[in-house]
Amino acid sequence: MMRYESSTEGYCYRVLHVDLETGQVRDEKIKGPAAAGFLGGAGMAAHLIYDELVPDLDPLSPEAPLVIATGPLTGTTGPAVGRYVICAKSPATWAWGEANVGGLFGPELRAAGIDALVLRGRSPQPVYLCLLNGVVELRPANQLWGHSDTYETQDLIKEDLKKPGVKVACIGRAGEAQLPFAIVLCDHGRVAGRTGMGAVMGSKNLKAIAVLGDQPIPLAGPERFSLLRARINRELRQDLVSEGLRDFGTSSGLDIFDYFGMLPKKYFREGVLDGVEAISGASMAETILSGVSTCHGCVIACGRKVRINEGPERKGPEYETKIGFGPNLGITDLKALVELGDLCDRYGMDTISLSNTIGLAIALYEDGMISGAQTGGLQLEWGDAEVVAQLVHQTAAKAGFGELLSQGALWLAGHFGVPDRALQVRGLELAYHDPRGASGMALVYATSPRGACHNQSPYYLVEIGQTREEIGIGMHPRQGGEEKVLNVVRHQDWTTLQNSLVMCIFANVPAGEVCELLTAATGYDLTTADLMRIGERSFTLKRMINVRLGRGVDDDTYPEPLFEPLAEGGAAGYVPPLENMLRVYYKKRGWSLETGMPDESTLQHLGLASYSHNHSKS
Amino acid sequence: MGYPFPSEAWLNALKDTLNRDERYAEIAKNWEGDMTVIIEPGERGDPESFPIAKYMDLWHGKCRSARVIDPSSEDLPDAAFTLRATIDNIYKIFTGDLDPMQAMLTRRLRVEGNMAHMLRNVPTVLEFVRCTRLVEIEDEH
Ligand code: SF4
Repeated sequence: MMRYESSTEGYCYRVLHVDLETGQVRDEKIKGPAAAGFLGGAGMAAHLIYDELVPDLDPLSPEAPLVIATGPLTGTTGPAVGRYVICAKSPATWAWGEANVGGLFGPELRAAGIDALVLRGRSPQPVYLCLLNGVVELRPANQLWGHSDTYETQDLIKEDLKKPGVKVACIGRAGEAQLPFAIVLCDHGRVAGRTGMGAVMGSKNLKAIAVLGDQPIPLAGPERFSLLRARINRELRQDLVSEGLRDFGTSSGLDIFDYFGMLPKKYFREGVLDGVEAISGASMAETILSGVSTCHGCVIACGRKVRINEGPERKGPEYETKIGFGPNLGITDLKALVELGDLCDRYGMDTISLSNTIGLAIALYEDGMISGAQTGGLQLEWGDAEVVAQLVHQTAAKAGFGELLSQGALWLAGHFGVPDRALQVRGLELAYHDPRGASGMALVYATSPRGACHNQSPYYLVEIGQTREEIGIGMHPRQGGEEKVLNVVRHQDWTTLQNSLVMCIFANVPAGEVCELLTAATGYDLTTADLMRIGERSFTLKRMINVRLGRGVDDDTYPEPLFEPLAEGGAAGYVPPLENMLRVYYKKRGWSLETGMPDESTLQHLGLASYSHNHSKS
Repeated sequence: MGYPFPSEAWLNALKDTLNRDERYAEIAKNWEGDMTVIIEPGERGDPESFPIAKYMDLWHGKCRSARVIDPSSEDLPDAAFTLRATIDNIYKIFTGDLDPMQAMLTRRLRVEGNMAHMLRNVPTVLEFVRCTRLVEIEDEH
């Protein structure tokens, strides 16, 4: 057992480094320009491990660092700020890895006096890390490893510690097996889903992290903060997007996305599918919804609880899970989607990557490139939820055809000699927002630091009207081109800022109010221009990491099949002009067209020049 | 030449447009719901003359009735949907300068009513707005 110290003097970012091999811990306090320049969350994580992310670092090796980072708003009483991020070199992409998650764990970490954890080394045996009010302990997890799913693990750790209030983030069987799409799950099914952060935890023999704290969250101006959050929460309650999320969950916009051709069907091959409306947020509310769930202090409460017949109350699927295992696989049975989402959560697998990989398998089977002999006799057909459930089980166990699915879509496509057929960017499978219905998403997918992801800019929301004029994000035609590039750049920067705070990307809080909140939290005198600069700086630092890792300009594209127009639906006949958009994008970002590396002047302007030399921060 | 906005004449012209428009009739064929639009003061027009309310009974692709009503009246119809915006924002939506979805998602147009029905019928909402833009508004200058 070791102790760590916490501090509340000024704005100070408190980092706890833990070596899982030796059990040694070290405190670090970050103040001054680095604290002001990155604030926290994913931007700070990039700063913390910048030097270590080199091309030949195996993301699953003991020396690979794993960061669990909160931000200056995490755990405060602010709006939708129960979130934290997990970052590392991704085993799925070998590029920047980042996953964003809500629930109660992040706030508890801050209440324990820790803003970020940096984990290195590999424990000689399975362990879980305990952080209980200043005391650090590695406890054996042999009884959990290979035996308990992600929900059981949380319960067993609480029992083991005899502390029901402890918050646990853990991996499942997929993380133990180091699958590239293994997740970290906490609380009532809140998931750090993307880029295989669960595999990195698994590679360290770390089953879970348990945390309990009773310290106040540091705020520079608590009274000012309290007044602001009351006003902002009042406004949020009346915001239409928030209302939709509360009443219908994250799939509240499903019908709209479908109408505009943004909702993928049958592995992005078709524009129309009968019965899609049966899985909408409104349909779920009218059928199986039994309650809602929320992250720490969030008035939106987008989480779903569902009950099927007389069964137990369970987590209901959010949008990506619903579409990935739903229309993407030709399935429109809501109850089947609940089961599939629950299975993935318990095994600890990312629903986007796995459903995308299964979609690819069905498409290749349909095209005669995969046969029954290779699937162990399973017929891979659109709309067959039972077969999909078998594939999920097989993947978690790396058994049967599941062994081929267990390495993700790019690996599967490569195995069958058609790597271009995988819908991925930088090795990360596409999220479920078809760029042919909303061209801004083409640019988002092509340039996101973590691959084809929707969380470094949920630009699909701008495409349907959620503009932010106060920071120059206006409305452009959904199927437009170069004219919306600057909009995308600004939206990425704003989202990157949110991922540093860490504020939920669903929180429709005006930039000026975020600025006031942050000023009250940190004591810095910030403007919205400063916030945009912080977002841009963090986005650029992740870009620098990726270029160093060899994932630069050649990876700034998206998959070949999406350059084919759809025949029907809201996006029929259209393909985004990605090449032209990219050319303008590099210019707006101040990146080299040849290498994709930020120019010297860009680095100067962002205060990143010291990182450029030898790709090492000074 | 056009109709003064917002006026009874403009509202009647919109009713005629909706009832003539085949695309609206097709897309809105499942729509059931009357609507009150409450127009609040803004930069345009005489602020003293607001709020103004318009009531429209929309049913299966047709507008069964439309009238200007007194928003302060006791017997304001209990419409399925109530929309609220300033005259400036309503004007921008009806003249094509503001996307209706954008107006809703940026708090410039507030909507009350059965949101599940609204979400399922976004195409109808967009078609309705398209028809409003077919009714010419008299240039004030
Ligand atoms: S909107 Fe949903 S995901 Fe975001 S913080 Fe609130 S409950 Fe969590």
